[in-house]
Amino acid sequence: MMNLVYYELFKTYAKWRTYIGFIAVAVIIPLIMWGMHLQSGHNFVQYQLRSLQSDFLITGNLFNGWSISQIIMNSLWVHVPFLISLVAGDQLAGEATAGTFRLILIRPVSRTRILVSKYIATLFYTASLLIVIAILSLGLGLIIFGSGDLLAVDRDMLTILPEAHLWSRFLLAYSLAIWSMWVVASLAFLFSSFVENAIGPIIATMTVVVALLIISNLPVESFESIKPYLFTTYQDVWQQAFKEPTDWSHIAKSCGVLGVYSAVFYSMTWYIFKRKDILS
Amino acid sequence: MSAEVVLRTINLGKQYKKRWAVQNMNLEIHRGDVFGFLGPNGAGKSTTIRMILSLVTPTDGSVELFRHQLSTEREAALAKVAGIVEKPDFYLYLTAYRNMQIAGAMTMGKTPSRTMIMDNLQLVGLASRAFDRVKTFSHGMKQRLGIAQALLCKPELIVLDEPTNGLDPQGMKEVRDLIVRLSREHKMTVFLSSHLLNEVEQVATHMAIINKGKLVAQGSVEDLLHSKLHNVKISVLPVKKSLAILKKLKTVKDAALDGDGISALINNADIPKVVRTLAAAQCKIYSIMPQRSLEEYFLSVTEEN
Repeated sequence: MMNLVYYELFKTYAKWRTYIGFIAVAVIIPLIMWGMHLQSGHNFVQYQLRSLQSDFLITGNLFNGWSISQIIMNSLWVHVPFLISLVAGDQLAGEATAGTFRLILIRPVSRTRILVSKYIATLFYTASLLIVIAILSLGLGLIIFGSGDLLAVDRDMLTILPEAHLWSRFLLAYSLAIWSMWVVASLAFLFSSFVENAIGPIIATMTVVVALLIISNLPVESFESIKPYLFTTYQDVWQQAFKEPTDWSHIAKSCGVLGVYSAVFYSMTWYIFKRKDILS
Repeated sequence: MSAEVVLRTINLGKQYKKRWAVQNMNLEIHRGDVFGFLGPNGAGKSTTIRMILSLVTPTDGSVELFRHQLSTEREAALAKVAGIVEKPDFYLYLTAYRNMQIAGAMTMGKTPSRTMIMDNLQLVGLASRAFDRVKTFSHGMKQRLGIAQALLCKPELIVLDEPTNGLDPQGMKEVRDLIVRLSREHKMTVFLSSHLLNEVEQVATHMAIINKGKLVAQGSVEDLLHSKLHNVKISVLPVKKSLAILKKLKTVKDAALDGDGISALINNADIPKVVRTLAAAQCKIYSIMPQRSLEEYFLSVTEEN
């Protein structure tokens, strides 16, 4: 099994398309930082604190590497699923397009093991992309903007999280973000099992994610009853890492729902893939 | 005692919507056979091969490889089998060496040694291109790489679907020679699907013919071709006297003048008797040429069905 996973990872990282995501974040993140640096970012903090400045005296460096990393997490939230589906949507459909299913599926290895190794490679890529985002945004942010406490704004509440706890909070936030993005990866992986080219799964994944995000966020009464059943309702679970006190029951529930979605998407992929006739 | 059956299909069938692509296919291939699998385009050859190699799930029947049921013991059944289905496709962005590593690892459960890979690439004349990306390879080179990856794990049965498709005459000859070598020197059983009748005639010991998804003939090439009358052209002098003699023989049918010789329908087994009779009548026989016996046989059985 380890051998299968190794070669799936090897194939994934030997493809040019795998690096599109890394290149995109390597361009976007410094660009955001450069923009913030030019306008000295403090305007942004002042905008967040506009209603509190008359009541509080705020001192210290609140616009720092931590806050910029949090801003980046928020702003990349729609783009990351696209970058994930670029690779996840190609995992099965890409083999069908290239005709290489005929090379690998005649081997004395069960389809289940092949599928598991491909799924692990997909999850690994998703995690690696988010880790690169974390390293770039935190690393560059701390170098350029320095360290300090983090100002966390949550609807009508404002919390200042002390610098000493921020490593563990960001570690939790990015871990939850990876868990959350694994659902998107699983969805693209599922769509990838249906078709024989990677464009379809990418478009289908983005259509579903965007449509569900709209439903999850629109304050429309008729949508309220279905919101608890949509995975997009729970995808902002990483934001819980910046709340004080941390709502662990909310995190557990969200992770549970997201985990069930990933498992269901994977099971459906397995069911289709096991029965798939390779005709290409 | 007959050789071990390495591949058996039992009432194998595949239905797409309402159409049966393959129906009641009962094949039996013994160890050491070079088994030619013939059929016109769209007869169901590729579907049968895909079912044998587990790419397509049969609607009916079963496949048995080395006494293991493919449906329930897939890994054991495919352990000694290799194949190329239609054209060999590879990870074009990887080198030939890496493609060989992947194919080997999936069959052996571990990465094959460098020596093993290079020996196989050497066998097909690609050792010098081992570290080039496959996307730079010609069709013929990919075909040879396909054979190299199929042979990597020393299979006992190799399934080749149209292996000379798209090759130039030199490439076709090389592949045919390789098939004969695999069978004679490496004692491999070869299942060879082709629509090129002369290819099968040159290399196969046994064959099956399918048409419209159904098996219409199966047996040794010798038996099948000799069970029917064949059109032969006899170059003989004097022609008219020879023709009169041939017309009197019961084993010769439809004898007639054909250019400067005679054409007639004769069973292969009766040819020595015909030669003896003509020689006894002081006729000079220069040649007796079968007129593409397999093609004739193929057309006769496929048209009948």
